Amino acid sequence: MIPRIIKDLFKIKKLDISLGIFLGLMLLSLLGSIIYPVDPTSVVGPPERPPSSAYPLGTDNRGRDVLAQLIGGIKNSLYIGVIAALISLGIGVIIGAISGYKGGLTDSSLMLMTDVVLVLPSILIMMLIAAYLKERNPIFVSIIIGVTSWPWVARAVRAQMMSLKAREFVYMSRIAGLRDIKIIIEDLLPNMASYIFMAFVLLMSGAMIAEAGLSMIGLGVTKGISLGIILYWAQLFESVRRGLWWWFVPPGACLVALASSLLLMSTALDEYFSPRLKGG
Amino acid sequence: MLLEVKELTKIYNVGLLRRKEIIAVKDVSFDVKPEMFLSLVGESGSGKTTTAKIILKLIKPTSGSIIFEGQNIEGINTLKDLRRYWRNVHGIFQDPYASFNPFHKVDRALGQAFTLLEGSNFDKESIINEALREVGLRPEEVLGKYPHELSGGQRQRIMIARCYILKPKLILADEPLSMIDASTRAGILKLFSKLRDEHKTSVIFITHDLGLAYYVSDEILIMYKGSIVERGPPHEIIEKPQAQYTKRLVEDVPLLYKKWSGF
Amino acid sequence: MPILETKGVKAYYSTPLGYIRAVDGIDLTLEKGVILGLAGESGCGKSTLVNTLMMNVRPPLRFIEGTIILDGKEISSMDRSMLKKNVWGVLVSLVPQSALNALMPTQRITDLVKDVVMHHMNVSEQEVVSMAKKRFEELNLEVDTLYRYPHELSGGMKQRVVIAISTLLNPKLLIVDEPTSALDVSTQKQVLKMLVDLKRAKIIESMIFVTHDIAVLRQIANWITIMYAGKIVESGLADDMLNHPKHPYTFSLVNAVVTPEPEVRNRGLASLPGEPPNLLDPPKGCRFNPRCPNAMEICRAKEPHLEEKSNRLVACHLVFP
Repeated sequence: MIPRIIKDLFKIKKLDISLGIFLGLMLLSLLGSIIYPVDPTSVVGPPERPPSSAYPLGTDNRGRDVLAQLIGGIKNSLYIGVIAALISLGIGVIIGAISGYKGGLTDSSLMLMTDVVLVLPSILIMMLIAAYLKERNPIFVSIIIGVTSWPWVARAVRAQMMSLKAREFVYMSRIAGLRDIKIIIEDLLPNMASYIFMAFVLLMSGAMIAEAGLSMIGLGVTKGISLGIILYWAQLFESVRRGLWWWFVPPGACLVALASSLLLMSTALDEYFSPRLKGG
Repeated sequence: MLLEVKELTKIYNVGLLRRKEIIAVKDVSFDVKPEMFLSLVGESGSGKTTTAKIILKLIKPTSGSIIFEGQNIEGINTLKDLRRYWRNVHGIFQDPYASFNPFHKVDRALGQAFTLLEGSNFDKESIINEALREVGLRPEEVLGKYPHELSGGQRQRIMIARCYILKPKLILADEPLSMIDASTRAGILKLFSKLRDEHKTSVIFITHDLGLAYYVSDEILIMYKGSIVERGPPHEIIEKPQAQYTKRLVEDVPLLYKKWSGF
Repeated sequence: MPILETKGVKAYYSTPLGYIRAVDGIDLTLEKGVILGLAGESGCGKSTLVNTLMMNVRPPLRFIEGTIILDGKEISSMDRSMLKKNVWGVLVSLVPQSALNALMPTQRITDLVKDVVMHHMNVSEQEVVSMAKKRFEELNLEVDTLYRYPHELSGGMKQRVVIAISTLLNPKLLIVDEPTSALDVSTQKQVLKMLVDLKRAKIIESMIFVTHDIAVLRQIANWITIMYAGKIVESGLADDMLNHPKHPYTFSLVNAVVTPEPEVRNRGLASLPGEPPNLLDPPKGCRFNPRCPNAMEICRAKEPHLEEKSNRLVACHLVFP
């Protein structure tokens, strides 16, 4: 059953393309530092040089290698994306699942909480927390993004849960006297696996953009590099006005490519898993 | 009396801004005696499925009560008591495809029955095999398979096999045949009668097919828009329907040896 | 000239495990003006057959061989774009089994009508709508329903609307696949009545009605074809066939009908034992032999072919030794 699904999935062009772009960039970031072992944080040459054979993507204002920064930046952005997505997914699925399955008062109070977090402008919260922390490593940034972006997942999981729990196999498990937690884990969650995976993909793309957003206003990671940080410095030193394209185009393009390949991936999966859209 | 349903009513509130009341079941009362085969017949939306779900304690009634062996089931709330109740009152649903979790093998549906049985040292394998043979399946043909590998008829038989493991006092079968091929319906229907004859299980058989109800029931209740409009022994319902709705229902059943006028 | 004639039609599903022979050598002739009832258990290939009959063949289903002549035109050699333009909706329309759930929830019924009609005809939107209104009136459907969304309609109403739209362009042949199996008896009767009316009003000429419910066929079909495991096993005039089935499979199907009437009560409840064969690897000889109560030596060795005797076609060694 499983290999069949995978085979079918690979027939979708959208998915092949998006997966290709995404995996390509991921491999670049993982293998890049081995093939191109240059430290992204140390000064390696004269400042603001355009691409040349010595510096394939030029150097920045302090003479650091942009390609090395890009490789490290993609890696950290992906890392933040994955961790933040896992955190939001964890919170969102747990709250959504309990809320949808239990209903009643539990549901109302959990949803009230969700709505509060949903209406609070998350960027503002992120800014407040981020500004409060003097030192911010990638984990902190991931947590900040993660704890502010779960509400829509909780809402969506709850809706799925409510429709799934009226399915007959759930009734069969209930009248067999199974505990609620067992029914949620064995019957309900696996049947929304594709949905949860799509949510993960979307969250990841959102988290990477949020990371860039935080970095651009100077609240990103304080140690190390990320796509947002490169863009932050490029912006601070007016690279656009001064025509230093090699400094801002590659990280910008990579960020767009990563985020949009994930979005495309989720659209492709959505089309596959919801037959109504198929061939529409 | 095994089960008494007294003035059962279920009202759903729907809509966010304009609250609207939908009366799914209205003042339904009936009794089920031990070893009785009772059919609830009606079209979709007549409230028969809601009645079944309330008796199975899957949803709560708005008002009215259900007394099982002298006890109001409203008072059954702990997991232990619930398990005892479901061991005595079990259900089978309409859609044999949706009754199985597609991620698990069909064995799981049978194994689940043991949660309800008291005691622990069962020879599960031989009990399951025995039950499968009772419902006309060869264990090696169905065990270890995923639901999508079996036909609708086979799946529904597995669900009945689960009842053979439990031997409950009452089974609620909610449209168990409506998604089964016409050619195999009679065979599955007979399994319910067999369960009643051999294990004294009472059956509440819910269907829209008057033909099926006619052959196996001791009593038929006709439901329409949430209420019972007529009740009686099968031959009286078919031969001398009283209520307007029942008359139409009897008329609209397609027969094999008689053609409708105007067709 | 018959409206539909097929010779040796084969259509298989291609799977990693091999071919599923869902339609395996079908010779079928449908005379004009006939309502053909196509019956068989689920998985016997009847839905696949009706899709193949109008060349609606999409992977994993593959058209293997055979000829299909519809209203004098050989459609088995046409490509999809030609079929869409000249055949589907105009000569033949199919109401698929999933039609009830396939309506786009965001589209009003009028949008659906426009889609269907304007694909074939060069007419304005107003003309389409007034055409649909006229047709709905003719069929006693409330004109109001045209402006509704699918979810506002009941199951029976949806089915009638889908049928009305599928026949807007007066196709000569209408194929309906299990149109009433999800409906209540009273709604079922309304839908069946509408189908009969369509033919009476000469909106359609002929019809193929697919079902597993023999009692329904008795009410509306005048010719019945029984399919088993990808092949036709018996075909004949409806009344004659149901009163005197010849093939053992037809006999068991008729015998399994459970309707509240004296003839059925007298014979008692019976049902067909066993499961239909796996069409990846169908049984040798007659495909029904493993479940047949009268199977003989020859049934396991040699495949029977459809033979005709007094207006009845049967594929059985018992009937034609």
